[in-house]
Amino acid sequence: MSFINVDQLTRLFDLSEPWIVRAITGQKKRILTAVDCVNFQIEKGETYALVGESGSGKSTIAKMVAGILVPTSGSVIIDSKDFNDAKLDKTSMNALRRKTQMVFQSPYASLNPRWKIGSIINEPIKAFGLIENENSQHIRVIELLEQVGLSERDIGKYPHEFSGGQRQRISIARALASEPEIIICDEPTSSLDVSVQAQVLNLLKDLQKNFSLTYLFISHDLAVISTMANNIGVLKEGVLVEEATPKDLFCKPQHDYTKMLLAAVPNLQNN
Amino acid sequence: MDEPLLEIKDLSVSLKKRNTISVAVDCLSLNLYPSEILGLVGESGAGKSMTGSAILGLIESPLYISAGTITLHGQSIVEAPEHIRGSKISMIFQDPLVSLNPLKTIGEQLVKTIKTHFNISKAEALERGKRLLSDVGIDPERIDAYPHTFSGGMRQRVVIALALAPDPDLIIADEPTTALDVSVQAQILNLLKRLCIERGTSIILITHDMGVISETTDRVAVLYSGRLVEIGETSDVLQHPKHPYTAGLVASTPNIDPHSFHKKLFQIPGTMPDINDVPNGCAFHPRCEHASNICQTQKPPLFNARASCWLLETPGETL
Amino acid sequence: MERFFRSDFFYHFCHAPVAIVSFITIILIILSAIFANLIAPTNPFDPSSLNLMNGFTPPLETNEFTGESFLLGTDDQGRDLFSTILYGLRISLFVGLMAVFLAMVMGVLLGLIAGFLGGWIDSIIMRFADIQMTFPSILVAMLIYGVARGILPPEVRYEMSIVVLIISIGLSEWVPFARTVRGSTLVEKEKEYVTAAKMIGLNRQQIMVRHILPNVLSPVLVIATITFALAIIAEATLSFLGVGVPTTKPSLGTLIRIGQDFLFSGEWWILLFPAITLLALALSINLFGDWLRDTLNPKLK
Repeated sequence: MSFINVDQLTRLFDLSEPWIVRAITGQKKRILTAVDCVNFQIEKGETYALVGESGSGKSTIAKMVAGILVPTSGSVIIDSKDFNDAKLDKTSMNALRRKTQMVFQSPYASLNPRWKIGSIINEPIKAFGLIENENSQHIRVIELLEQVGLSERDIGKYPHEFSGGQRQRISIARALASEPEIIICDEPTSSLDVSVQAQVLNLLKDLQKNFSLTYLFISHDLAVISTMANNIGVLKEGVLVEEATPKDLFCKPQHDYTKMLLAAVPNLQNN
Repeated sequence: MDEPLLEIKDLSVSLKKRNTISVAVDCLSLNLYPSEILGLVGESGAGKSMTGSAILGLIESPLYISAGTITLHGQSIVEAPEHIRGSKISMIFQDPLVSLNPLKTIGEQLVKTIKTHFNISKAEALERGKRLLSDVGIDPERIDAYPHTFSGGMRQRVVIALALAPDPDLIIADEPTTALDVSVQAQILNLLKRLCIERGTSIILITHDMGVISETTDRVAVLYSGRLVEIGETSDVLQHPKHPYTAGLVASTPNIDPHSFHKKLFQIPGTMPDINDVPNGCAFHPRCEHASNICQTQKPPLFNARASCWLLETPGETL
Repeated sequence: MERFFRSDFFYHFCHAPVAIVSFITIILIILSAIFANLIAPTNPFDPSSLNLMNGFTPPLETNEFTGESFLLGTDDQGRDLFSTILYGLRISLFVGLMAVFLAMVMGVLLGLIAGFLGGWIDSIIMRFADIQMTFPSILVAMLIYGVARGILPPEVRYEMSIVVLIISIGLSEWVPFARTVRGSTLVEKEKEYVTAAKMIGLNRQQIMVRHILPNVLSPVLVIATITFALAIIAEATLSFLGVGVPTTKPSLGTLIRIGQDFLFSGEWWILLFPAITLLALALSINLFGDWLRDTLNPKLK
């Protein structure tokens, strides 16, 4: 059994009009299959990347693995526990939540603009009751800030005082605060500039090594994924069409869709 | 080389807020030649979109052009932007919905644009509109469709058709593919390249994506903090960068390369300065590993018509 | 504090003459209401100090019986109009302030709940708001006022009349708050910081109160300012119609009603001065509110 097991994961969305409108206009229900029977495993300490274009269902999978969206069918088993297991007691549920954290796409929307950085990073520590003493909490927050390349001075500032890259670092520090084992990175660098993107990707790599983190890395950018992943899954309209190591995927792509994607990626060396 | 189509000379765009004036584009000089694709690349806040707006005469208060000239065919467009903007220069934005009227069919919008610029009948304009659509790869039969019935990539094609309608000499494309998927992006870039060759239109392609620059442009100008740091043939600039910033930018761009799987990327420390707080001398010096004393005090001029870096002052010295 | 003086907000304020003038007017009116007992020459609420002989003295003229003179004249019962306006302002401002506070608390709470929880709770709250909006708010206030007076035992009716007035105006003005807060909540709840809060297992109340509430409050301040003017006018209207505060403790509206009785018999000042005060107050608050809206949130326009 792998560390994370995604088994026959399926999610439907009901996009139909309200029943009263349907009754009047005679429309049928419209059901969108966002994720269709997806299977994959992630080993501890590895990075599994999901790549796909818009509408491929990659963010939907991320939310289901994070336990904030209920699958229509199938399951996500993390270290033999399931978020949607009705038998899961409160302590195990909290433990599972603590273990799984997320880094988001937008450096602007992912931090509460009314909160100071110190409180943002301290919130998971308080919520999971990791450290009771306020002084020790403060020390821990400073430690987290330093781990992501920020400093004690930043503790009393608000998010708007930081650049996009720095905010993404704060987001990472918040994710690390609960001492997680899994971090789901949903397009963590797609709104950053190239030079800042490199800094954040390198930071994620260092943290993975230091804390033996497991990543589920979501991106539309094959070049970014090629530098991050141990295994790559290619998604097309909710279906996992190909799964391979970077070496196999980029050198010997099997599926036509993967080949098309690879051909479309602008490459620096083409010139 | 030919006469340049567009000449930008010592262009400065400033921002006046309260009692402080900050410089968003600082003494920028560029030439653009007929049927050439020039890339303007830089990170957010580097002044690349601002340069595009200046060419179009779209600079509005609190921003203003504080120095310099922009000439198209030898005529200044700073003084007479309205007249030239419409017929000689077109614009393509990142979000196609900005340029399309959702309440009108694409045919109506095309005909209106064509009739504004050419004195022809409605039937002729319609005919011309259909030709434009097939030029950009849209079935001319769909001329009576509304913008919302098209997908994102198709909408961007419609926008390009609209941009081509006045038969412009210059198209400014500001991040035209940033909102699109990679597969669609490749199609749009190919379309732009083809149009440039077939119609002889020059294109200024504004983007943050080094890959897009590499695949599409003939020449590239790299901007940093509102200043031109390097300009030259695209392949030359990307493969043998002369400015440390260009070199860092190229090195930190992730690339699919079997030798670099799992390897750490090169990273430039720090971030681009805020325009209110640009350091003295070379704006890049606090992030530059080659910085020397002169870099901290004096702005480097453009050496060898290539890069603004004091390293190039001594001949033979390279990165 | 120093940050406030250097902020853009303060800078814009210093460059907006309308905002400065209206702000100063509001502050002057509020201060003179608070210190009414120090400024006013007489206490109009004290029946023993009144002399009926002083009734109907025109402004700045000497009363032929008592030889006293009054800055703004007197009303039918010989109350000094200047003092009565100052004390009346106290009641008008108090009722307005409390009514806005009630409307705000209720509107923000219901809007937050409707927006965050959605579903049938949202439908019920917002349909109720829609129905209430189809009536003029003064009608709603009168309805609530009438019902409350009917329920209350006669012996407390008199003391409770101001409380009833506050509740009826408050309940008639909550809808704009709820609609705005619901709208911002719908936007905020989709943001990733809310997802992050869910990921650490916070419950819905915690997410609503700690994360969303602080982010939906800035338009509330603007609406509160404008509603404040509406509430003062509503109070004046109700008092004018005779359903508001008792005539022994006249508010601006009561004074205007008294003045209206004598307008055509030549005692114009009893109506005019309270009316000007009400106008100045409501206009200043509205102008200041408009400026606040334009500065803080241009999207609300």
